[in-house]
Amino acid sequence: MTSLSPALPLWRRVGYPLRQHWHRLRYQGQQLRQNPTSLLGLGLLLLFGYFIAVPVVSLLLDGVQVQFGDERRLGADTGAWTWHYLERTLFSAVAQSQFWTPLGHTLRIALWVVLLCLLVGGLLAWLLTRSDLPARRWLATALIVPYMLPAWTFAMAWLALFRNRSIGGQPGWLETLGVQPPDWLAYGELPITLILALNYIPFVILLLGNALRRLDAQLEDSARILGAGGLTIALRILLPLLLPALLSACLLIFAKVLGEFGVSYVLGLPVNYNVLSTSLFRSIALRQTGSAAVLAGAIMLLGLLSLGLDALLLREARKFITVGGKGSLHRRHPLGRWRWPALGLAGLLFVVSVLLPLLVLLLSTLMRVPGDFSLANFTLDFWLGRDLPFVAERHGVLLSPNLWRAAWNTLWIVGTAAIAAGLLGLLTGYVVVRSPWRPLGLLLRQLTFFPYLVPGVAFAAAYLSLFAEPRGPLPALYGTVTLLILALIADEMPYASRAGLSAMLQLGKDPEEAAQMAGAGWWQRLIRVVIPIQKGALVSGMLLPFISGINGLSLFVILAVPSTDVLTTYALRLLDYNYPQAANAVVLLVCLMALVGTLLTQRLTHTNLAEGLGH
Amino acid sequence: MPDIALHHVSKRYDPGAAPAVADLDLLIEEGEFMCLLGPSGCGKSTTLRLIAGLESLSEGEIRLGDRLVDSRARGCFVPAEQRNLGLVFQSYALWPHLTVAQNIEFGLKLRKQDAPRRRATLDQVLQTLGIEAYRHRYPAQLSGGQQQRVALARMLAVQPEILLLDEPLSNLDARLRLEMRTELKRIHRQLGTTMLFVTHDQWEAMALATRIAVMKDGQLQQLGTPHEIYETPANRFVAEFVGTPPINLVELSLPSPLASQLTRYLGTCGRWQPGIEAVGIRPERIQVLGGEPDLADPALLLSAHLTSLLPTGGSWILELTVAGDRLHLCTQTPPSWAEGASLWLRVRAEDLHLFDSQGRRLAAPRPAAPTPRTPCSQPVMEIA
Repeated sequence: MTSLSPALPLWRRVGYPLRQHWHRLRYQGQQLRQNPTSLLGLGLLLLFGYFIAVPVVSLLLDGVQVQFGDERRLGADTGAWTWHYLERTLFSAVAQSQFWTPLGHTLRIALWVVLLCLLVGGLLAWLLTRSDLPARRWLATALIVPYMLPAWTFAMAWLALFRNRSIGGQPGWLETLGVQPPDWLAYGELPITLILALNYIPFVILLLGNALRRLDAQLEDSARILGAGGLTIALRILLPLLLPALLSACLLIFAKVLGEFGVSYVLGLPVNYNVLSTSLFRSIALRQTGSAAVLAGAIMLLGLLSLGLDALLLREARKFITVGGKGSLHRRHPLGRWRWPALGLAGLLFVVSVLLPLLVLLLSTLMRVPGDFSLANFTLDFWLGRDLPFVAERHGVLLSPNLWRAAWNTLWIVGTAAIAAGLLGLLTGYVVVRSPWRPLGLLLRQLTFFPYLVPGVAFAAAYLSLFAEPRGPLPALYGTVTLLILALIADEMPYASRAGLSAMLQLGKDPEEAAQMAGAGWWQRLIRVVIPIQKGALVSGMLLPFISGINGLSLFVILAVPSTDVLTTYALRLLDYNYPQAANAVVLLVCLMALVGTLLTQRLTHTNLAEGLGH
Repeated sequence: MPDIALHHVSKRYDPGAAPAVADLDLLIEEGEFMCLLGPSGCGKSTTLRLIAGLESLSEGEIRLGDRLVDSRARGCFVPAEQRNLGLVFQSYALWPHLTVAQNIEFGLKLRKQDAPRRRATLDQVLQTLGIEAYRHRYPAQLSGGQQQRVALARMLAVQPEILLLDEPLSNLDARLRLEMRTELKRIHRQLGTTMLFVTHDQWEAMALATRIAVMKDGQLQQLGTPHEIYETPANRFVAEFVGTPPINLVELSLPSPLASQLTRYLGTCGRWQPGIEAVGIRPERIQVLGGEPDLADPALLLSAHLTSLLPTGGSWILELTVAGDRLHLCTQTPPSWAEGASLWLRVRAEDLHLFDSQGRRLAAPRPAAPTPRTPCSQPVMEIA
């Protein structure tokens, strides 16, 4: 068909290849119509590009472009390229306090947290999956609880205990009891590190425990038969095989701690102890958008580096990783005389990471003067009282309309975002698994995971600056619920898309193809076969973002306005009004919602939350 | 019932890679029960999926009856859901969220059938396949054989013009497999549907198909009735793939006493022709002689040692050496020899399959005159 003889008339010489071309196009069109997965993927790509990539890029650009208000000082128009913000943030007189010191703090905290999590979490993961620890079933659930609670809850509890005269307001328990806690114990690095470690230990227990459970016990048995002792097995067999899970846990925790805001904000502020995210928050609050962009960029860069490292090391480790088929046959190692000390350790962790904080919070809402345990000091006024002598709330929180409004706002704002995120996550998973065009899937995966690396504060700031004025098809969204919901959806996409992806990976093509043979078109297959089969996964893909959304602080701190007050911002405001009893009561309610949500997820889907990553 | 015509069909998954199906020409006639047979990775499943419309062609065209359904050059692609075909999957692919009845009714609902008609069809297919009792169960509550029946019922319910089956019996145990084979054959007889099924199991193909297409590396090796495939394999691959225990192949180019004996025999019995590279002998066509051979016998006579005796229930496989070359033999009569015994073997001239250096079958030239008897048997004796 290519060797067209010149004897043919001109219209045939031109017309024939043209028609061939047209036929080929039509053929591709027919196939696309039959299977519009790639089209759907392109749509998603556009959507995520607009709501994830564009905000991030515009945020980063703020760091190298002259910002509004700086024109005269820099002698250039708004939007002109400049090194000014980089220089100022990294090398000027304020660089030390704005960037380098917070960077040092951040890295030190992150490394300590990872180390602590690994030691304690690793030991407990082994105890829970491979030893004859008493009450391991109960502990396996109980020790995961901190994972479901917002980290800053612990900060509030810590404050209630150790608050000292460095900040005003009501005394802490220790102070009432006659002990003045020093600043280094009450605020700053030590409590932040401890609290974050407690919060992320469950993460290691889950990830490592899963890996241990899947590891074929026969691998250990063969080593033992060949004469290897316990230590040799641990170092030469278990450790190398568990390395991928260990590395993943470490680096995901590391990346998460980098952007962590709430704990550092609550505990660092009183002693002016800054980490990168709080320094970023201050820059945003002071409207130094240029510096804020540089700081956010630094946090993202560190996160990217750690994830890059993870990918690199994982590729090395995957060469020898084996996931056993019949790994469930586990003999449990007898702990002997270590049985009770081990139980003591696990119990202690439960007390410190769950019982104590929640108890402190609960009691603090029942005491007029914190730390005074005389019976007369206890009251239910803060929950149910009327006409109280406080400016912020005249009634107990349960009677306050503000609380119920905030609770309702939380429920529907976070709920809407979670439902949208869950659906988008499943669709993303569908495209990634089914699209014949591989780069599309890869791009979608990376894009939806990216918000994990962007500190919430910076993400929120980017949304604020980007969508405050009309953009494309969107009207100006400043101060609207829509903006908050959009930001929430984008922020929750890492969890939602992971859930969707893992669900789709388990569903073979056959059910869909069978439906196709029965005569179902693409939409019918999606609605009548894929989604019904994935019902459970869809619910968990919605509940995970819901829990994480309820706990979230950083997005709301920046994007919520009084009309969109949610429980977390309401609690923070009560704290600002120096009304910790009410604030703690609200925090307890948030914990309750998160716990119920998590238990519901597990009940509904029989799944393990380890797949959902950290908070 | 339309026929299925594949015309110069090729399928490449990656532009650079070897094609999964290469230039395949195949006509599956109306009402035929055709089988695609070949080892895994030979392109048989891809061919099936191309016909079903689950994959698209790289080159060539496919017609169902007089309807063009796939041709890149003519810009025509009819999606699977519009081809009115049935496909039974190897994994059965029952929808786990629907009951047996709902699974079967799915296609009927898509065809907008009203409830009473749907009910009637449902009852009928449930009865045909003997699964009425499981109507309200979910697939997870059924055994493999029951799931298989539901998968079949689901496709039969919509009365497709063509029924495709992708290794339909490979996940069943031996007894169920036999049962379902009979079932499939009965359904084919009853409905007269054009049926095409894919398998790597030669027994299944032999037992079910009216014609078999043997494939290898994406290419058609031979198309014929089960009898033709077995008796006159088109090439060495087909000869070796079909039949258990596999055919004995003797390479004539390798110097061995057996090879030279065969060469001489072919010359004397008039079957010699230039280019013979290998000779194949089916194990069940080798006869063990009770005593000393009849020297007037025109057949090939070989003296052999019994090295190993493998009973397989109703028959026996004998492993023998003929002057260092190993041969397998299959017999239904209980052997009376111990391992290590010396035996005389007899193979008829027409049971020798001849292949050239490309592995192609060399057709036996019909001898013009009957071969003289005596010279044939003469040289055989000295070898043992």
